[in-house]
Amino acid sequence: MIAGAWLCLLAPLAGFLLITLLGTRISRVAAAWISTGSVVTAFGGAVWSFAELWADGGERTHLSTAWTWLQAGNFKPGLEVLVDPLSTMMMLVVSGVGALIVLYSVGYMHGDDEERRYFAYMALFVFSMLLLVQGGNLLLLIVGWGLVGLSSYLLIGFWHERPTAVAAAKKAFIMNAFGDATMVLAFFVLIAHSGSLAFGTSFDTATTLSPTAVNLVALGLLGGAAAKSAQIPLHTWLPDAMEGPTPVSALIHAATMVTAGVYLIARTHPIFEQARTVELVAAGAGALTLLVAGFVALVQVDIKRVIAYSTMSQIGYMFLGAGVGAYANGMFHLMTHAFFKALLFLGAGVAIHALGGEQDIRKMRGVGALMPWTKWAFLVGSLALVGIPPFSGFFSKDSIIAAAMTIGWYGWFLWAAALVGAFLTGLYTFRLYFVVFRGEPSPFVREHHHAHHGKEGPWTMMVPVVVLAVLAVIGGWLQFAPIWTPLTSWLEPVARTLPVAEPTSWQEGISSALAVGLGVAGIVVAWLVYGTGRIAVPRVAALQRLFEHKFYFDELYDAIFYKPAVATSLVSHRELEEPVLLAAGPDIGETAFDTGRGVRRLQTGLLRTYVFFLGTGMAVLAIVFLLTK
Amino acid sequence: MLGPGVAWYLGVAAFLFGIGALGVLLRRNVLIVLLSLEIMLNGANLALIGFSRHAHNGAGQIFALAVMAVAAAEVCVGLGLVVAIHRRNLDLDVDKLSELRG
Repeated sequence: MIAGAWLCLLAPLAGFLLITLLGTRISRVAAAWISTGSVVTAFGGAVWSFAELWADGGERTHLSTAWTWLQAGNFKPGLEVLVDPLSTMMMLVVSGVGALIVLYSVGYMHGDDEERRYFAYMALFVFSMLLLVQGGNLLLLIVGWGLVGLSSYLLIGFWHERPTAVAAAKKAFIMNAFGDATMVLAFFVLIAHSGSLAFGTSFDTATTLSPTAVNLVALGLLGGAAAKSAQIPLHTWLPDAMEGPTPVSALIHAATMVTAGVYLIARTHPIFEQARTVELVAAGAGALTLLVAGFVALVQVDIKRVIAYSTMSQIGYMFLGAGVGAYANGMFHLMTHAFFKALLFLGAGVAIHALGGEQDIRKMRGVGALMPWTKWAFLVGSLALVGIPPFSGFFSKDSIIAAAMTIGWYGWFLWAAALVGAFLTGLYTFRLYFVVFRGEPSPFVREHHHAHHGKEGPWTMMVPVVVLAVLAVIGGWLQFAPIWTPLTSWLEPVARTLPVAEPTSWQEGISSALAVGLGVAGIVVAWLVYGTGRIAVPRVAALQRLFEHKFYFDELYDAIFYKPAVATSLVSHRELEEPVLLAAGPDIGETAFDTGRGVRRLQTGLLRTYVFFLGTGMAVLAIVFLLTK
Repeated sequence: MLGPGVAWYLGVAAFLFGIGALGVLLRRNVLIVLLSLEIMLNGANLALIGFSRHAHNGAGQIFALAVMAVAAAEVCVGLGLVVAIHRRNLDLDVDKLSELRG
């Protein structure tokens, strides 16, 4: 299983290096297939290690150290990969969904000017993400963490001739850098107390730390998790990140990278359990995010932005689950979400591709009649997202909602928020579905569709969509709490669910019933408003403005950070640079010139003066030498 | 020890060194300056050899040989310069060769 894990980690790196080094010596199509092949190989490696880990009945934790990577006194982190139930699950999701999406990109990016660069970045991203989940200590984890941030930045700004894409890439990078910094600070505290960043040692140390220290560590980790997973208050970069190509949104900003925060909480849960308050703050942030994102998604008109807000909202559920202590439920939702959200993005991508890059849902009206496969796939993804049985979202989301019920009065708030979120999910998802896919195709759609020879898309795009549609249906059958829980038992050795977060059967039952009922209610309202038009869209000007401005988070950060920084610069330019520095400049220059003119006279060009100075100098030195001897 | 004491040798060496130094400082002809330099070096050599005999240590004599090699090299460069100056029809006068004045 160790060999499989190394193969899984290194294959995408090899693909990235190969495409980069071969450059223009290979065709664009070859670069695309190298990238796809390397990620498929990684998936093979992941399956290999999973199969062997499955057969291994023992402790199921294997650490393989290649060599000691850094050495500074007693601090000796190794270059090591960890194979355990949690990392294997993430390897399977990342490389499996990654392989499908890279395959999809072969069709989607065909004809783009810089396909080679795109596919090199995709392979780099898959490698970084695998390093993040396979890294055997916290130091390797943050290396992967930083690298996914880098490849996310590169891919958001892939179409670098668009100023909006460049701005979005910078925004994502800066907000993520903030989270990285808080994580590194947390690691410093850990190193100071334990001298190690190995998982086991760090977690043992957490139990001996003072409450202040352990809370600081947990807060630092939470900062990193919230920034990467786009949770309030570090969430504003994710909707802007939709400037990247659609497969990038599907892979990085829906299925894998943005869920890394949930993985981090599950991986470092022994630390969070020592800082239970911070863990509950994480759950609260998740609940708040799922509500805010749900509301904002109601008024967005860009198809990808609607799905992006829905991603934020679903990661809110995962944070909620992991925060209350139901790590397995959070990870389960991570997996099903990876399937159905990648499906939704890829389905949207097929439509966007066919319409020549149009993303405004008002112009896309009626696309479904011309694209039946995409329409059905999108419907499957939407049903899974809303959590209608037997689609996958039902199994994973409802167990999170039920787990929220178990932790006292605070849990009731979270529970209520999650249920309101379920209604909003039904509403915004089916608003999108009805607006884009139902009804008669608009003239705009017909015109573009004919330009595409009436085909939905090449097979490289349709195969991943169909496979993901199947996974979005059956992916949830892996677990039906509390009757059938293989996933929870699988994760038991690494991420044991807290006993307080284990709901009883009646709690599961009532949560599921309410969540499904509210989801269906959301769908019905969406049908009445957007499907049939029987009810006019309700207009409350103040609320609409609030949602359209995304609760004014961008404006708030602008006022708190950007405007003061600009004001400070202007003041220091006016008060410091102009009167002091610019005025002093010529004086400094004049002084230098004067000194030069004086010193110049020493250089006479006459041999005898030089000899004289030389001799005098020697004589002085000799006298000094003799006197001091 | 045969011959006069080390002080006599040092006296002659200092005398030679002084003549050479004055020549370098006062004369203006490049050739004479080079010649005076050689006299300075040989004064130093004499002091080295004198001390070598006084201390019964051969290192000083080896050192004098090394100085001779350096002197030969220096003369080569110096005479080369003199030839180059002459070819450009310039005066062989160190006071007139002052183009590097600041």
